[in-house]
Amino acid sequence: MSKLNETDVQGFVLRGYNLPVARYLFLHFEDAQRTRKLIGRLLPEVTTGQRWDGGKPDSTVNIAFTHRGLQHLDLPDVTLLSFPVEFQHGMKHRAGILGDCGVNSPDHWEKVWREDRVHAWIGVNGQTTEALEACCANIQSLIEEAGGATIVDTQDAAAVVKNGKPTTSEHFGYTDGFGNPDFIGIERSTQPGQGKLLPNGTWAPLATGELLLGYADEAGELPVAPIPHLLASNGTFMVYRKMHQNVATFRAYLDRQAELYTGGKEKLAAKFIGRWRDGTPLELSPDKPDPSIVQDPNRSTDFTYGGDGEGTRCPIGAHIRRVHPRDAFGFNGQLINRRRITRRGLPYGRFVPEGEPVSDTEERGIIFMALNASLSRQFEFVQQQWVQYGNDSHLGNDKDMLIGNHGGRGRFVVQGEASVTNPPFVCSGLPDFVELRGGDYFFLPSITALGMIVMGLVDPR
Amino acid sequence: MPNQNGSVYGLTILSPIIDDERATPSHDLQIRNYLAHLSTREESPFAQAPGTHLARLVVMDDVIYVGAPACEEHLKSKYLIFESNCDGDLDGYLSGLATSIPDHLDAVWKHCVGYPGAANHQAFVEYMKACQLETTFFFAAVNDKTVNQTLRALQTQSAVADFIASHQGADSATLQREFLEFVAHLKALPPPRPGSMGPHRDIKTGGRNE
Amino acid sequence: MSNINGKVYAMNAVTPMKTWKTWILRTIFFVLGHVKPLQNDLIDLSFIEFARWVIVPRNAFPFLRSGQVQEDLKYDYLLFFSNFNGTWNQYIDAFSAVLSKGLNLIWRWSEKFPGSVPVTIFKEYIARVQFDTDYYYTAYPNATANDVNSAHIVQASLDSLSLDAGKYTPEQFAVAYLRFVLQVQTHLGETGEAPIAG
Repeated sequence: MSKLNETDVQGFVLRGYNLPVARYLFLHFEDAQRTRKLIGRLLPEVTTGQRWDGGKPDSTVNIAFTHRGLQHLDLPDVTLLSFPVEFQHGMKHRAGILGDCGVNSPDHWEKVWREDRVHAWIGVNGQTTEALEACCANIQSLIEEAGGATIVDTQDAAAVVKNGKPTTSEHFGYTDGFGNPDFIGIERSTQPGQGKLLPNGTWAPLATGELLLGYADEAGELPVAPIPHLLASNGTFMVYRKMHQNVATFRAYLDRQAELYTGGKEKLAAKFIGRWRDGTPLELSPDKPDPSIVQDPNRSTDFTYGGDGEGTRCPIGAHIRRVHPRDAFGFNGQLINRRRITRRGLPYGRFVPEGEPVSDTEERGIIFMALNASLSRQFEFVQQQWVQYGNDSHLGNDKDMLIGNHGGRGRFVVQGEASVTNPPFVCSGLPDFVELRGGDYFFLPSITALGMIVMGLVDPR
Repeated sequence: MPNQNGSVYGLTILSPIIDDERATPSHDLQIRNYLAHLSTREESPFAQAPGTHLARLVVMDDVIYVGAPACEEHLKSKYLIFESNCDGDLDGYLSGLATSIPDHLDAVWKHCVGYPGAANHQAFVEYMKACQLETTFFFAAVNDKTVNQTLRALQTQSAVADFIASHQGADSATLQREFLEFVAHLKALPPPRPGSMGPHRDIKTGGRNE
Repeated sequence: MSNINGKVYAMNAVTPMKTWKTWILRTIFFVLGHVKPLQNDLIDLSFIEFARWVIVPRNAFPFLRSGQVQEDLKYDYLLFFSNFNGTWNQYIDAFSAVLSKGLNLIWRWSEKFPGSVPVTIFKEYIARVQFDTDYYYTAYPNATANDVNSAHIVQASLDSLSLDAGKYTPEQFAVAYLRFVLQVQTHLGETGEAPIAG
């Protein structure tokens, strides 16, 4: 493949910054010309994929647009119409496809998302709250000076802090941050288990075109992309979903089910996800958590399900097995290589440790952000077919235990053995542990594309 | 015998549709119109007649021109395709159709050339066989049971899942007693009606796909 | 008119073949039909309820006289009818990803077939040669091939347990029941409506 020009890709795409605090600003454009000038002022601040050889910066800035936003920037009609249908629709319009009904229905979303107000996302990450505030203040004054756009909403997010240190934990108590794919040419130490499975059992990075437009993808072609090439290349699509978490409901449900489950509460919690709460994969250590595995990147995600066809180690419907089936569908994992997504989100809201009182009405949850070259083939497919449905795992209509929209009626089977510590067990009457509060689909352009947008130089042919 | 795979038979019938310029609407459109208003669920004629797993009716207007350098050519007649995946033997299935749903058969096939009507079973079966195409390769590896067996099994699966879920932690004596009651109850249940969608769910997961 | 009923999709396709190529395809289908292991990949994909290929030689279109004009064609035609679970895109993506050789073996004899890899051009071809279903019936719209397969397994296990259930002591029954649960524990998914797309 052609060498990746890291300075042309926004840094947010190429790496998870691992900065502990973030704020997302959502903009509405009133005047195309002045907004283009604003983006021109912001452009030098935008963080690229260039490596941080001198240490991490205090803060980072990245920008993305909804289709509505691109329309309001007066991009040519032919270009606007050449974007994939799902991106033109926007996430709200895709609610039927995504299973965003019941509590997740757009009728229940926050106003700014319900009313299609968002044109752009500016993501600011910071090492410290002070750095974050300073950066945001700077951006805000640029926006005010330029005129033509207003901030219609902000969302804070931050890594959960335990014992004074930021962690990768989320509000249900699970350690998150595993499972992002490896891609060819994108600088990252490749970890076994993150890329695609080869016939000889080793792992290789995925084709770059599964993440970035303009590069060969796993199907042996260039991914479908908007025109002109220069607008699309080095860009990608982003899903943003604000997922409220009902922590009180979750803890109560786990406690209640654990009374009947003879393997113990922590093991049951592990069976929901496929990893113990500290991150140890059940496939590698079915009986107890093992920090030595979690802390070793060469082991923490290096496993397959081929030897666990009955789901006795990791249940067939467990979360990580659903969203990254590896070799579980046979064919050496080839059926899933084009269904991988790259996650970049952070939790939001006050973290309440286990044992302390917590309420579902408090604002807390996760800002789910995923990057992929094709929204419909990657994110939407996983959400529709593997999260809100189970046929590919031979689980019929059963949904993902944790993030499915159960409406009080769902069922999750923990496959087991004839043993007291690992019995078969059925969890019924699943409530909605998460609720969608809003979100949309965004396009994250390359630095070159941003420049073209600023200068009004986007020409479809 | 390529038409058959296990106990399921792959029936492919191509019936030439009457080409009459004086008919308004034309015969193929009349077929389409009739089919458009026919229920595809429990009230479907194929749910009333025995032995149909999956069946389709397609009006094939023409062959398709795939583009130069392929030659362009056209069919002189339109054809009604009847593709059925059904239980058991061909004669039995066709007679079953003629017995249970003669009115529907006539309403559709009266627009086809040489159709004798379903009243005369023998003539009907002979007509269908005259229009039958040999299935070159039939793939049906998944389901080798009859329609009724399949519907019963689906009912059982759902009931068993509910039973297992509601009897966790039960003591052995209670479990055994209630299991025996459960089995008796299940046996006595009527089989689900073919073509039905099962119990209504309040969370919609959909109804169409792409 | 709909190609979809519940969880199953009815695809129809017709492609022209030069007559001299038809016998090659017949031989391929003959081998496929008689050498069962060659069908394994098709079985493992597990989302096909029923599928068939029908070669219609140029002079084999049913001719019933009674005023019908006889066909006068240059090509033989390959008709394809599939009943599959999942979306149109998912179906073609899967075949293109893991069964491209098999697809090519069957369709390379059809005029203008572009090959099943890469997938975007392959999908364009299918869209061109696919024609729509007027009426589609299924006896079990809320169940996929996987659901049906699981249901049969559950039924068989239940029948087996029911046979002796009354003869056991409660303790013996508990052991037999656990064995039964372990047999069916990966086959208990609910059936219902299909996901919505497009």
